[in-house]
Amino acid sequence: MRSRLTGARHLLHVALKQDRKNIAPWIALISVLSASSVLVYDWVFPTQQSQQILQLNITANPAMSLIFGKPVDLTTADGFNAWRAGALGAFFAGLMAIFIVVRNSRAEEDSGRAELVAAAAVGREARPLVAVAVAFMASVLLGVVSALVTIAFGGGVADSVMLSATFTASAMFFAGLGIIAAQLGSDARSASTLAVSTLGAFFVVRGYIDSSGAPDWATWLTPFGWLQETRPAVDNIWWPLLLVVGVAVVLVAVGLALHSRRDFGMGLVPPRPGPARAGAVGNVWGLALRLHRPTMVSWMVGFVVLGVLLGFLANTLTDVIAQNPTIGMILASGAVSEDDLVGEFLLTMIRILGIYAAVHGVQIVMRLHAEEAEGRADPLLGGAITRATHLASHAVIAFVSTAFGMVLAGTVMGWVADATGDTIGFGDVLGQAVATIPAVWVLVGLALAVVGAKPSKRLIGWMGVVATFALTILGPLFNLDEWVLDISPLWHVPNVGATDPAWLGLVGLAVVAVFFTTVGFVGYRRRDIA
Amino acid sequence: MDSVISVAGLVKSYGTFTALRGLDLEVARGEVHGFLGPNGAGKSTTIRVLLGLLKADAGRVEVLGGDPWRDVVELHRRLAYVPGDVSLWPGLTGGEAIDLLGNLRGGLDEKRRAYLVERFELDTTKRGRQYSKGNKQKVALVAALCSDVELLILDEPTSGLDPLMEIVFQEEIEAEKARGRSVLLSSHILSEAEALADRVSIIRDGVVVETGTLDQLRHRTRTQVRATLERPPHTVSELSLLEDAQLDGLHVRGAIEAERVGEAMALLGRYGIAALTVSPPSLEDLFLRHYGEGNGADAAPPAAAGVVETPEADAGYHGRHSPPED
Repeated sequence: MRSRLTGARHLLHVALKQDRKNIAPWIALISVLSASSVLVYDWVFPTQQSQQILQLNITANPAMSLIFGKPVDLTTADGFNAWRAGALGAFFAGLMAIFIVVRNSRAEEDSGRAELVAAAAVGREARPLVAVAVAFMASVLLGVVSALVTIAFGGGVADSVMLSATFTASAMFFAGLGIIAAQLGSDARSASTLAVSTLGAFFVVRGYIDSSGAPDWATWLTPFGWLQETRPAVDNIWWPLLLVVGVAVVLVAVGLALHSRRDFGMGLVPPRPGPARAGAVGNVWGLALRLHRPTMVSWMVGFVVLGVLLGFLANTLTDVIAQNPTIGMILASGAVSEDDLVGEFLLTMIRILGIYAAVHGVQIVMRLHAEEAEGRADPLLGGAITRATHLASHAVIAFVSTAFGMVLAGTVMGWVADATGDTIGFGDVLGQAVATIPAVWVLVGLALAVVGAKPSKRLIGWMGVVATFALTILGPLFNLDEWVLDISPLWHVPNVGATDPAWLGLVGLAVVAVFFTTVGFVGYRRRDIA
Repeated sequence: MDSVISVAGLVKSYGTFTALRGLDLEVARGEVHGFLGPNGAGKSTTIRVLLGLLKADAGRVEVLGGDPWRDVVELHRRLAYVPGDVSLWPGLTGGEAIDLLGNLRGGLDEKRRAYLVERFELDTTKRGRQYSKGNKQKVALVAALCSDVELLILDEPTSGLDPLMEIVFQEEIEAEKARGRSVLLSSHILSEAEALADRVSIIRDGVVVETGTLDQLRHRTRTQVRATLERPPHTVSELSLLEDAQLDGLHVRGAIEAERVGEAMALLGRYGIAALTVSPPSLEDLFLRHYGEGNGADAAPPAAAGVVETPEADAGYHGRHSPPED
């Protein structure tokens, strides 16, 4: 074994040095996610009454459980943190680990750097093992930093450590998954897609289980469920973590075994010869469609799956309300009607869809930048096309694909909701989904503006999505001022089901989307190509 | 002169780094123009300005009579470009890439495409990620050569090609020239430029330091003379006509400007010439002379020319200057 790991120490040293700046933002993001909830809790929910209202609001809106997991005890700061940062933090930790592993294994192979390394006195297993080691070290560091920061901002010691440990365990689990995906995919992009889709699927299944009133055993169907079973801030049970980490180690072993069975630079499936003539990819439009097609297909599958799940959820809502005696009491008092709860739930779900669509759109736009950075824009722009055509070939796909996704998900969700019960009608769902499209386009437009005009600032494109998510989903709970909530484009989407929908919001959104898009096109025409 | 490329006083900087500081370049219609210079001299930056990928900070740039920044589409229909570091789409086959790039120039000649694929022995059914460096280069070359254009802009087009393919490339460029095409050939491979170029421009630190036909450039450099004499001179000072004259028994070596070779022959003739070698400067000598200038070294290191590696060995060069903020 020793000789197979020769050189691992040096490689690890280099990898850590190279990857530090990529890892730091993830650790910061997740730590802030956790620390911010303990920080704001006492400030936003100072009284016992406000805390109980919070608990009720969230329990009554299963769409919240879909994202954050089942609320257990929201009447303490740590309990609130475990809910708000638990599932989401584990999700981001998993993403971090997947990206670290793929970047340090598969992407290195794609770039040819790994070939230099493989030709040196380096053992066969050293390269994948170093990638996993970097991810494991980042996982542990994430746990330590997150725990310390959360405690520093007022989190309970045991509770914060428990919660942060679930982030570490999640990152290790998905590092194991990542190293397997890195062997199966034929390049870094397909390896990431494979691993991230699996992560996303686990997350969605967990969300459905948490929000649909599924039986308790169902929690064990996903690794996120195992992590929830630690019940941070309530019971702090340690042993499920061991299970997660144990499986992570097994996954890594499988990954290493697969690694030793494949050729350098290839996936497990050998590449087949392709067509000698171009056909549909013979122009930039066809090319852009071809480049984005695999991503679009997997996202559309996601839209359908989400639509089905949310459609089913729409009808479990009434059960959830009926089963919960406290909600029943509130309803009885006449402060809120069941229709209000249903309406609020529908809005939240469509907003979630909107954010999902925006991630898809921004990803397409970012691909344009990747093409430029990898030198593939040069030969195209050296041909007889304008910069505008080149940008448009990607922009059109980003706009059309997100709109199509919203319509698709809205149709499926409306159809399932209509067919399985009478809580929500088909038209309400589809109408709301369609009305959300301009808001999604604002976020796509923002990404186009930065990628087109100032690609060095392209992170702003993603920040727009993150900010929209935070403001729209959590903002109302935190009683943020209206002008702050107004920053989110989703906040301007009219409630189609209301008696007098604020259609003017759509006009505003359209104007902003057009403005951002124009900035992108004008900027792309004027700047140097990297 | 009818120019296809005409550049005067071109300045381009990236942040605080100035890549081009007043570059002048003229490429006449129908000629193969060698564009030579060390790594980082600004060759690729110049080419990227000519293609309208970069915006000139100052100076006048004209390609085929148009402004490359403004008249992108019209100009690019009439030219083809091969980058030095070809990056193909990993999922597209070579054949698809050739068709795509050809169509972007307004269509490709089917017969020529088939001929060139055969000529360069290219497997067009492989995916971009499977190609070696040389094969990626061949894809770009075939795409450029099979479109009907007036001007070929080639940025180190043969990096990674094997010697056989290098010969094919040279033959195809000769054929292009015979058909009246103009070629701007940025190269590190001096033998290639020597074989193909009608005129060359040597660029250094963002300016063209020398331009002309090879003969003109040779005339500006000294010719090497070696002789074995029948009767030795008394002292080496009798041979002061030769620069750096060295005397070792009957063996003499030195250098002289090209137009004074006759005088040198007359001088040596007085001692009787038993054997004589007169070597005109190679492009390599010219090139090395310009390399050396920056280091304050003497301007004539021809004796070393044979052992100095040509810069072609530098495969890590990415054919472009990254802006510092990247």
